[in-house]
Amino acid sequence: MDFPAGDLSPKATQILDAAITCIGRVGLTKTTLDDVARAAGCARATVYRSFSNKQQLLVALVAREAGALRAAVVREAASCDTLADAITATITTSVEFLGSHPALTFVCAHEPEVLIPYLAFEREDAVLRTAAVLVAPAFTRFLDDAEATRLGEWIARITLSYLFSPSENFDIGDDVQVRALVDDFVVPGFVKSEGVSR
Amino acid sequence: MSAMTEASDPRDPLSLHDRLLEATYRCVERFGMGKTTIDDIVKESGISRATIYRQFPGGRDELLLETVGWELANYFNRLADQVRDAPTLAALLQQGLMYARRSIAEHAVLRKMMDTEPERLLPLLTTEAAKSLPFIADFLLPYLRREAEAGRLRPGVDIDRAAEYLARSILSLIGAPGRWDLDDPARVAELVDVELLGGIVRK
Repeated sequence: MDFPAGDLSPKATQILDAAITCIGRVGLTKTTLDDVARAAGCARATVYRSFSNKQQLLVALVAREAGALRAAVVREAASCDTLADAITATITTSVEFLGSHPALTFVCAHEPEVLIPYLAFEREDAVLRTAAVLVAPAFTRFLDDAEATRLGEWIARITLSYLFSPSENFDIGDDVQVRALVDDFVVPGFVKSEGVSR
Repeated sequence: MSAMTEASDPRDPLSLHDRLLEATYRCVERFGMGKTTIDDIVKESGISRATIYRQFPGGRDELLLETVGWELANYFNRLADQVRDAPTLAALLQQGLMYARRSIAEHAVLRKMMDTEPERLLPLLTTEAAKSLPFIADFLLPYLRREAEAGRLRPGVDIDRAAEYLARSILSLIGAPGRWDLDDPARVAELVDVELLGGIVRK
């Protein structure tokens, strides 16, 4: 999957922003390209020039938002001095990004059937593999590429588990609790397997 | 005949409930979730509509949800039986992951549902699977205690937190192994050693 935030024209960007607004208001199923055109303040034809159908628009939207998430994670991790800090920042930044995303939160609350296929079996595999590649750059200061991707997948797993099966005892958005989880269960295996962090 | 097969034993009221879940499972296996009706379940179980609705006031939907939960519990019981006698926690997790993955791949009814009606099955399955977490964690507790008693736990490990961490990891891996080939013993051993037990067991 590409994360082409830099390749989008200003018009396409505006259209995708409008799509987020529409989906955040009425959901994925009810949002039409006409709605998006109206919200973007442009003609239908303009939308169709950038995105031939709703599916194409959604693919581009997901790719762009994934790129935005990656940028946020990399930015936060860049100011971290240790692997444990970088992992913690990755998790809390991701949880904050996903939890405050207007389109995603609407779909989670009102159209869960859209997301459920991605929580099991082959489509969940695809989500985990994509998420791994997405967040791995946050760790390449500390680990080689293969280890960083491996760690990325593991973090995606943990985060997904707590997001969709919340715990009474643990808040995945709380950086103190996440740091404890990371220190106690995640880092020891990865640091040991590498020897010394770079 | 109907009086004999339908009578619930007051000393064992669960048996009626389970008989209905088993009958529902057999119907789903034959007809699929969408096409299974209460009449099918009446025929399969020999239990009357009235009794079925007494046991499952939510009707077909409630029966289907509980049947998914029932088979999931059966799955985890089979898994537990496989690994119960493992000599160490690491061995338990390794054997467990490999067996769990194989038995999902070979689960004919699951395969059929995923091929024909994933949109009916998945909402029920993801809901019921999440309920398995405490059971998996509870199953692991005695094995964690055994590691502690043998001096094999890393210092300061909280057994309850470790059990929850492992349960979530296991449930996630069973459903979606991601990059991991859970049929390869060497890879499974590495996964268990690093991701699962790296913070729990001494090297």
